Amino acid sequence: MKRTIFFIATAVLLVGLNVSEATTIRWWQFWTDPSVKPEISEMVAEFEKANPDIKVELTDLTWANGHEKIAIAFASGTGPDVVELGSDWIAEFAANSHLADVSDHISHDSSHFQGWGMATYQGKVYAKPWILGTRVLFANRDLLTQAGYDSNWVPIKISELKVAAFKINNLGKDIYGWGSNTPEKHRLYKKYLPFFWSAGAQIFTDDNKYCILPSEKAIRALELYKELHDSCGYVANQRGIEDAFLDGKVGFIISGDWLLKRVELERRSINLVSTLIPGLDFPGKSFLGGEFLTVNEASAHKRAALKLVDFITSPENQLRFCKANRSANPSSIAIQDDSYFTSNVHLQTFIKQIRSAKHPPVDPDWVYMEDAIERAVEDALFGSGLVAEPLLQARQKIVELKQSK
Amino acid sequence: MKRSRSTALVLVLPWLLTLVVFWLFPLVVSFLMGFTDFRLLIKDYHWVGLANYRALFSDSDFLKALKNTFIFVLGTIPVTTVFSLGMALLVNHRFKGRGIFRAAYFLPSITSMVVIALIFTNLYQRGGYVALLSRLVGLQSPENGFLYDSSTALFSIMAMDVWMSVGYYMLIFLAGLKSIPDELYEAARIHGAGAIRQLFSITLPLLKPVMLFILVINSIKSFQVFVEIFVMTKGKFDTSTAVYFIYETGLTTGFKSGYASAAAYILFIIIALFSAMWFLLLRRRQALW
Repeated sequence: MKRTIFFIATAVLLVGLNVSEATTIRWWQFWTDPSVKPEISEMVAEFEKANPDIKVELTDLTWANGHEKIAIAFASGTGPDVVELGSDWIAEFAANSHLADVSDHISHDSSHFQGWGMATYQGKVYAKPWILGTRVLFANRDLLTQAGYDSNWVPIKISELKVAAFKINNLGKDIYGWGSNTPEKHRLYKKYLPFFWSAGAQIFTDDNKYCILPSEKAIRALELYKELHDSCGYVANQRGIEDAFLDGKVGFIISGDWLLKRVELERRSINLVSTLIPGLDFPGKSFLGGEFLTVNEASAHKRAALKLVDFITSPENQLRFCKANRSANPSSIAIQDDSYFTSNVHLQTFIKQIRSAKHPPVDPDWVYMEDAIERAVEDALFGSGLVAEPLLQARQKIVELKQSK
Repeated sequence: MKRSRSTALVLVLPWLLTLVVFWLFPLVVSFLMGFTDFRLLIKDYHWVGLANYRALFSDSDFLKALKNTFIFVLGTIPVTTVFSLGMALLVNHRFKGRGIFRAAYFLPSITSMVVIALIFTNLYQRGGYVALLSRLVGLQSPENGFLYDSSTALFSIMAMDVWMSVGYYMLIFLAGLKSIPDELYEAARIHGAGAIRQLFSITLPLLKPVMLFILVINSIKSFQVFVEIFVMTKGKFDTSTAVYFIYETGLTTGFKSGYASAAAYILFIIIALFSAMWFLLLRRRQALW
């Protein structure tokens, strides 16, 4: 009898333990930087403390192969519950039913965050904006002064940028007017698109039916970009042009907020100017992208996953993240008035730029289109033919792709 | 007898399982996948027959990648073979510090390819040592660096590959040279054969199996060139090769696994034909040597 009671008690205890066992959710994210990762881990610990029934298994990805790992995991049914995705990938995963539709869940957040356009595919929201990203024009004030410009002058129009870059280029043998990217996947086209959009060009017609990539405006924009590249460009990969710019060898570069972080962490003494991308109308349009948190459609713990998404993207935690990473573009609108942002003139440039920034089409085939545009820019810059030709070829590829669907 | 067979089977089983699960199964699946429009992220896929193969032969990117691969193979293999044989002949002689030379030549072969590729990326860059050396000997170097110019990028990678591989093949040649009996050379010398005659009449014919091994191994390795391209140029500036194309198509842009599998099998057939060609060629050469 005693033995029976003992077994029953043990069974009840085990069942009880099982009931109170925490739900474990897996979160894959890309922030491995030593200044950011501890903050992420701390946020996760706080989340677990506030939600004792949820445990978070954190996995780091790298930009070099994170996209592949996520795709393979989703395809094999082993995707994480929560995954950080770059804005360009959302449509690709959403179109193939790998992401949960979070439209209802985020409805109360819609006016407090920005970046929803990139998270919306075919009228449904598949992600919550976390940290956005855009690019601004950086200039070296000392070189501008040496080229004869006033201490507060910045280029407003693309034509002014060109003249200033040429003047700086003429300052000396090892001085260049413009930092020009070599072909690097996902990078080069992001440098051309601000010129493209600022010139008023479009990839598709407003009704999204026809590809108008090689328009007169697009060709002019590419010619202008090539002129800068050929005549006064310091040509290197992104890291290389940033190094040269920070070493005082380059007058202008287009870059993101990570450059501010480098200036601070590397204690660079450059006389830095940040300004909005010049355009035909000021300000010009910059490239808009960002990091989003998504929930796996196949997740068995969607509620817990959404809880984590809400926690990480909360205004307070975004501010913590921005401070740790020196990020300039939180998706939360409320924290943009925080003194962290208002007291820094460069961060203010980013906050202003994002208002006129544009994101690429939210299309599951954007990766192909991006590839076609990038190759067109590469051929135009590094080839010897007319710049219209590669744009026409890119259009042909995009049209064929659309027709094959 | 029966017991020893079952023991052998048990001992071989782990390897056999690995072979089936990680080699044979993917091989068969990828072969079949080549006849489908399978894409990693899309759940539905269809049998498309030879459509992928037909499309590949009119895909300018694939054809360009194949062309670059052939340039790489045909450009590196003869140079690597001649250099490694020459070096093996040199270090086969007794001289002071021979061990140091052998170790120094072999060192690149045991260094990580990624590390070497990164070092050479720096050497080849604008204002780098290679540009400096070019200037010293009166040659013009590309304005933006050797890897950022279509006319020099692939050849720069090929040069690095030769530098890296020579030591390894030298060691294999050296092993082959050691296996040639000294008596043959002694007899040849007695009969008045000079160094050149000895090389062509004794060394090269007896090195034929080693040569064949090196040519086949080097061909397979060269046809599969990937890491250098991935680290140094990402296939830009006319450096995309067949394996890089397969990687890009199957694992990055659009995850077209079916299409990439078909490309992989075309490469497999090319490698098989190339290896067979070496066997036939060396068999015929025997008569000449």
